Amino acid sequence: MAKLSLKKLTKSYGKVEVLHGIDLEVDDGEFVVFVGPSGCGKSTSLRMIAGLEEITSGEIWIGGRKVNDLEPKDRDIAMVFQNYAIYPHMSVRKNIAFGLWNAPLSKAEKAARIEEVARILDMSELLERKPSQLSGGQRQRVAIGRAMVRNPAVFLFDEPLSNLDAQLRTQMRLEIKKLHQQVGNTIIFVTHDQVEAMTLADRIVIMKDGHIQQVGTPEDVFHAPANTFVAQFIGAPSMNMLNVTGAGDEISLSSGIKMQPGRQTQTGQPLLLGVRPDDLSVDDQNPIVTGKVVVREPLGSETLIYVSGPQGEIVAKVPGKSGVKVGDEVKLGATPEALHFFDTETGDALV
Amino acid sequence: MSAYKRLSIRQKQIVWAWLFLAIPTLFYGLIRFYPTGTAFVISFQDWNLLGERTWTGLSNYQKLWNDPVFWKVFRNTFAYLIIGTPVSLVISFVIAYHLDKTRFMHGFLRMLYFLPFMTSAVAMAWVWRWFYQPVPIGLFNNFLASAGIPQIAFLNSTTNALPAVLAPAVWAGLGFQVIIFMAGLRAIPGSYYEAAKIDGVGWWTVLTRITLPLLKPTIVFIVVFSSIGFLRIFDHVFNMTTNNPGGPLNATKPLVLMIYETAFSSFDMGYAAAQTVVLFLILLLVSLLQLWILKGDNS
Repeated sequence: MAKLSLKKLTKSYGKVEVLHGIDLEVDDGEFVVFVGPSGCGKSTSLRMIAGLEEITSGEIWIGGRKVNDLEPKDRDIAMVFQNYAIYPHMSVRKNIAFGLWNAPLSKAEKAARIEEVARILDMSELLERKPSQLSGGQRQRVAIGRAMVRNPAVFLFDEPLSNLDAQLRTQMRLEIKKLHQQVGNTIIFVTHDQVEAMTLADRIVIMKDGHIQQVGTPEDVFHAPANTFVAQFIGAPSMNMLNVTGAGDEISLSSGIKMQPGRQTQTGQPLLLGVRPDDLSVDDQNPIVTGKVVVREPLGSETLIYVSGPQGEIVAKVPGKSGVKVGDEVKLGATPEALHFFDTETGDALV
Repeated sequence: MSAYKRLSIRQKQIVWAWLFLAIPTLFYGLIRFYPTGTAFVISFQDWNLLGERTWTGLSNYQKLWNDPVFWKVFRNTFAYLIIGTPVSLVISFVIAYHLDKTRFMHGFLRMLYFLPFMTSAVAMAWVWRWFYQPVPIGLFNNFLASAGIPQIAFLNSTTNALPAVLAPAVWAGLGFQVIIFMAGLRAIPGSYYEAAKIDGVGWWTVLTRITLPLLKPTIVFIVVFSSIGFLRIFDHVFNMTTNNPGGPLNATKPLVLMIYETAFSSFDMGYAAAQTVVLFLILLLVSLLQLWILKGDNS
């Protein structure tokens, strides 16, 4: 178990720089999730930590050691791959034992470690099976087992749940979280799924185009997004964005509606107003937008309504029993605390 | 037409299936199975290609059993198989393994290895024949002479001739095997190697514990395919020993060449057919044996 630090980490393929100076401190025992759209550099960062990709510049420190020039095996890490990378011709036991190939342990000690890991992962009875006789979730567990048996300072997970179906993914998500609470190792987990990131992470690292956009707890990034990208990436459906103009303690929307956001704005300054679908309520006294419901997506406990008005289309999440119908005229509003303001030019949040 | 319409969907499917199957069935029946069957029949007969066929029972097989040339040829054929298959397997794997890792001029190098496979066996055999000539003509002996090493009688020695004939045959088949091996290597996911790298496993262990076991289906295919090739070797031998086919003293003669000579030099069709049947049985047995051994514990 150890701290992990990335210092000014960059990666270039030829002349193309894909990672532009990543700085990050991960505490001992922390569960950190890297999340972002494909091509954002999250997997590249992980592979650089693992030692599978060369570091162009910058430093990686694991447990107080600079590991830039260490082989993967000497970095005190273990990795779980997206396709599990478990060997189809070996039994589960042999697959897990492969992680201990070079460990300075006696045969009996190795066997005991394997048994223990199998017990923690609840697959003691699967040890003699071949991977082809396992389900997707069980294979996933074998891959985790092979990483666990090494008892590394840092666990690296590269989109490990992407190959599972939705139900199993939710289940494995829970198991990984429980496992982390049980063993307490530092974990770096890469995913493109923001729900996975939110549910698993102690802290989320949101990346885009080789830059870190925001680092924070799930609550931080959800309630106080650093910029429009984070605001729209985290949370489903995405945050609504409206063009507004500041006017002292008022703002005016392009639809002509004026409202008091509870803060001062510069008169005449164009701003982006962000509001989450969850924060909008129907028939508000102080509406932000008005319009006609064009599409209804019932999800059971909630219903998503798409409201079309002069300001464009907006999504709102209303209670499932609210009885809003397609064609209804609705007035949507939100409390001032639920409003987010962003700079139109840079997209950065205005505090 | 109305009769067709009254058929159930399943019956219609059967009608169409047989319609499509008719051509290959006819083709295989006439071109493959009929002659094969005839060969079996002729092996129990006496026939000189022009005269009457007369039944002779097992006498062709008895003659074969007591023919010292047959046993010599039998040993030669297995020598080609037992030396050729493993040697070509190892060489082609080593080439494919390294070529797979080479990025420099990858396509060009692959083309170079594949080129011999596309070249006519006759042309190749004659070039190799030239390589094997004594000084001052032959390439190899010229090298040996310039290095001060005594000459080697490649094709004129009863002990050297068989390996000397086998070498170009192995070389010619290499390109194909390399391509198949490379396809097999490419099919192994990169993450298997990355996982092994993180586990700190050495390259030899990776090769023997991961690469080779995962290449098993490829190896089975190549072994069976090249074994059949070596058991049926003919053109290389025939073209490299034209003055005295299969010589010197039958040292290089494979079964197919013996069949050819029995049939078209001695016109003893019955005897040739009996040899063919034996070759067929050997091929069948060897192939089944290999499939059984190599596929044995695969789940």
